[in-house]
Amino acid sequence: MQAVTSVVISCAGIGSRLGLGMTKALIDIHGKSMIQRQLEMFESVEDIRVVVGFGSAKVIEEVRKYRSDAVFVFNHEYFTTKTGYSYYLGARDGNALALEYDGDLLVHPEDMERLLRMEGEWIAYADKASEDAVYVQVDAAGNVLGFSREDGDFEWTGPCCMKKEHVKPLAGNVYSQLEPYLPMKGIKIRAYDIDTYADYQHVLEVVKDW
Amino acid sequence: MTKFLFDLDGTITKQETLPLIAKAFGVEAIEGLTKETIAGNVPFVESFIRRVHLLKDLPVDEVSCLLGTVEIYPLLATFIRAHKEACGIVTGNLSCWIGLLVQKLGCACYASEAVVENQRIQKLSAILRKENVVQQLKEEGHRVIFIGDGNNDVEAMRIADRSIAAALTHSPAAGVLSVADYLVLNEVALCRQLHQLL
Repeated sequence: MQAVTSVVISCAGIGSRLGLGMTKALIDIHGKSMIQRQLEMFESVEDIRVVVGFGSAKVIEEVRKYRSDAVFVFNHEYFTTKTGYSYYLGARDGNALALEYDGDLLVHPEDMERLLRMEGEWIAYADKASEDAVYVQVDAAGNVLGFSREDGDFEWTGPCCMKKEHVKPLAGNVYSQLEPYLPMKGIKIRAYDIDTYADYQHVLEVVKDW
Repeated sequence: MTKFLFDLDGTITKQETLPLIAKAFGVEAIEGLTKETIAGNVPFVESFIRRVHLLKDLPVDEVSCLLGTVEIYPLLATFIRAHKEACGIVTGNLSCWIGLLVQKLGCACYASEAVVENQRIQKLSAILRKENVVQQLKEEGHRVIFIGDGNNDVEAMRIADRSIAAALTHSPAAGVLSVADYLVLNEVALCRQLHQLL
């Protein structure tokens, strides 16, 4: 991994669509919380920046068990903003490159290792799996050409990596941050995000084989 | 220029200094008052006046010597010494008590003041409002980063360009967490963030 990359994990959301009554970083996947699994994947990364908002005290308590050297970034506007804003807050005072990772995302650890070795700016996507997805359109080389709520070749899952000065104070989603810089280098990975209870049950099945 | 302003007690020092003075000189009632103050249950100014009143008859030079030995976070001290022009201590504590401690860091210091005669405190003459220091530096065109943990840091942190809640010695006050941009749990994280903000 490039020494100058910060990892920004966005855990500020309410997790209202999931219906488990807790922020998604804390949900249990076969005996480990989501955030524990993520922090294990980022063990080699020096600068971990966890963006917190709703239920921040519990997220901080959980992260502290594994990475007491993390920097916690407050998104006090978590109710009115989305992950694109958390990405901005997490990236703005970090290292030159900021890898964005949604707290509700599970990436296959082998694929994450591959992503951590990549250089420069990039976008990761996966086979379509979620109930409520945003899609990416790609060219023959796998570069990302566009995002769509309607249809596309793959599902936009993240993570992505951008120069910090490219990440702006936008209230919307992370893909809104990426759109001005398209086309961008793309890479297909095995990844699942958990927005709904059906997603959660699906992930519980898939992760058994990881 | 970027200016880094640090609270002293519990942010740079590994313990609160007023209870340390009280213990060393056998003055009771300070520790409970300090805890209540950190928790936000007693307003800072009132608490500070009461605590100084309890300690005012102690020889100032001996208190200063004692505080000169208080343990400070080593990585943080190294950062401050390496960037002393950019750093400042902002504390409600008395300048006559913390002189030796601050000398070890070599940076600017903004503190409360007392009239001292024959090594004894006669009266408090000024209680520092930390937000005034932030405001002044901002008006001079500086970008101000404030690092603190207590209720008397909240207003300064609210108006600083960036604020870092430091949970190095104890949990920051709830008011601090409600305005802070960042929270760090140890000095490794704090110093990494400070370097990134340079």
